[in-house]
Amino acid sequence: MLGKLLKHEFRATGRIMGPLYLVMLALALCANVSARVLDASRSRLLNVLGGLVIAMFVIAIIGTCVMALVLMINRFRTNLMSDEGYVMFTLPVSVHQLVWSKIIVSTVWFAATFLAVGVSGLLASFRLAYVDDFISRIGELFQQITAYYAINGAAFLAEALVLAFVGCAALCLLFYASMSVGHSFANHKTLLSVVCFFAFQFATQMVGTLGILGLGDIHFVWRFSNMAAIHTAMAASIVSALVYGAIFYVVTVLMLKKHLNLE
Amino acid sequence: MSILECKGLSKNYGSVTALDHVDLTIEPGRIVGLLGPNGSGKTTLLKLANGLLTPTAGELRIDGLLPGKETHGMVSYLPERTCISTWMTVSQLLDFYGDFYPDFRRDVAVEMLKRLNISDSQRIRQMSKGTREKVQLIMVMSRAAKLYLLDEPIGGVDPATRDYILSTIIGNYNPDAAVVISTHLIADVEKVLDDVIFINQGRVVLQSSVDAIREEKGMSVDALFREVFRC
Repeated sequence: MLGKLLKHEFRATGRIMGPLYLVMLALALCANVSARVLDASRSRLLNVLGGLVIAMFVIAIIGTCVMALVLMINRFRTNLMSDEGYVMFTLPVSVHQLVWSKIIVSTVWFAATFLAVGVSGLLASFRLAYVDDFISRIGELFQQITAYYAINGAAFLAEALVLAFVGCAALCLLFYASMSVGHSFANHKTLLSVVCFFAFQFATQMVGTLGILGLGDIHFVWRFSNMAAIHTAMAASIVSALVYGAIFYVVTVLMLKKHLNLE
Repeated sequence: MSILECKGLSKNYGSVTALDHVDLTIEPGRIVGLLGPNGSGKTTLLKLANGLLTPTAGELRIDGLLPGKETHGMVSYLPERTCISTWMTVSQLLDFYGDFYPDFRRDVAVEMLKRLNISDSQRIRQMSKGTREKVQLIMVMSRAAKLYLLDEPIGGVDPATRDYILSTIIGNYNPDAAVVISTHLIADVEKVLDDVIFINQGRVVLQSSVDAIREEKGMSVDALFREVFRC
């Protein structure tokens, strides 16, 4: 059933994100042409038009990134917390599956947005030589890291990807937990969701700060090589994000199971 | 075995009691009117049966099971308000119900939609409020469910639409299933009911068959309702 939920979730969100990516990529091509025109032309009108196209491309990038975040929040609110919730919570699926479908789809859109912005950046590059240069430099950097640290370069990349995935999921869950608590009240559901969001943020920052201060008080002697220290820091970050996400996951599921309060 | 059974079921919203120690059973193959004035607890009972609320005390079982994803597969629920996603086309809505409910009879739904001249490519948001309600009812009644829970299916619609809705319910429900129709518009539904449950201020005040009411009390359900709930 999770597969079917994902199918319909991608269908619901793809109709918004798909056209946005297309617009961004089209504007990237236009920005590329504009940059060439700006470089070659001395016409003031063409310069103004070219500048406008590049500005629109930048706005499209910002808009797409913001939309990925807004869509993650709005989809949970409209699909589970408002009228559509009567349909979704009476489907033969578990609350866990409903929450996971939202997390997975939002995280995929975050990753797709990151890729689309990268591709549009390459498309907008003034000359193709810049793209070749960029790709070859990335390749060189990766080869140098791998050659110098043996397998550690690839391991670091894998850790960074896992951290990005877990971090995105944890971010989604912070919003979901805030909304599921806020919407359990009879009135002012949106306002209380915002209050919950800031309360959760404050609480996690307090716990994080106290944890770091506590670590400082422990008089262990840490003997790590540079690379081992990086891996340990990455592992600690992944575990922290997992714990952070797990707490909000439990809050979200508990509220949706026991205190669901659809209008 | 009863398809729906409540034992000492209570639900409080803070200090307000919506349901107070409700005991009732509903048998398969019956069309039951859940009748009561506004705010009597009808919607709360149906929400509890769908797992949308958690009881404060007591329990409710559907075919012997507590409400959850297993019972959702047996129950076809029509909420009080229109809840289908408005961005979907009719075709996407049919896919949605077909994907999640193995008992969804797509051919039956398509036939009913055709009779209303609703095309597959039409978006829900392009429809009038009345048409959306009809489409939602068609989706609910196109399932061969064990239990249909219909919350105010004829509330707020014109008499012609009421007739359409009632004929859709009667013409399409699974005869082995139980149908619960929650309403306060007794006169309109009385003709289709086998049993009635009167509910007031969260308590069941009467559970009887329509025939028994007519024979023993010598009055219609509508007349009895007016007598019981006289202000």
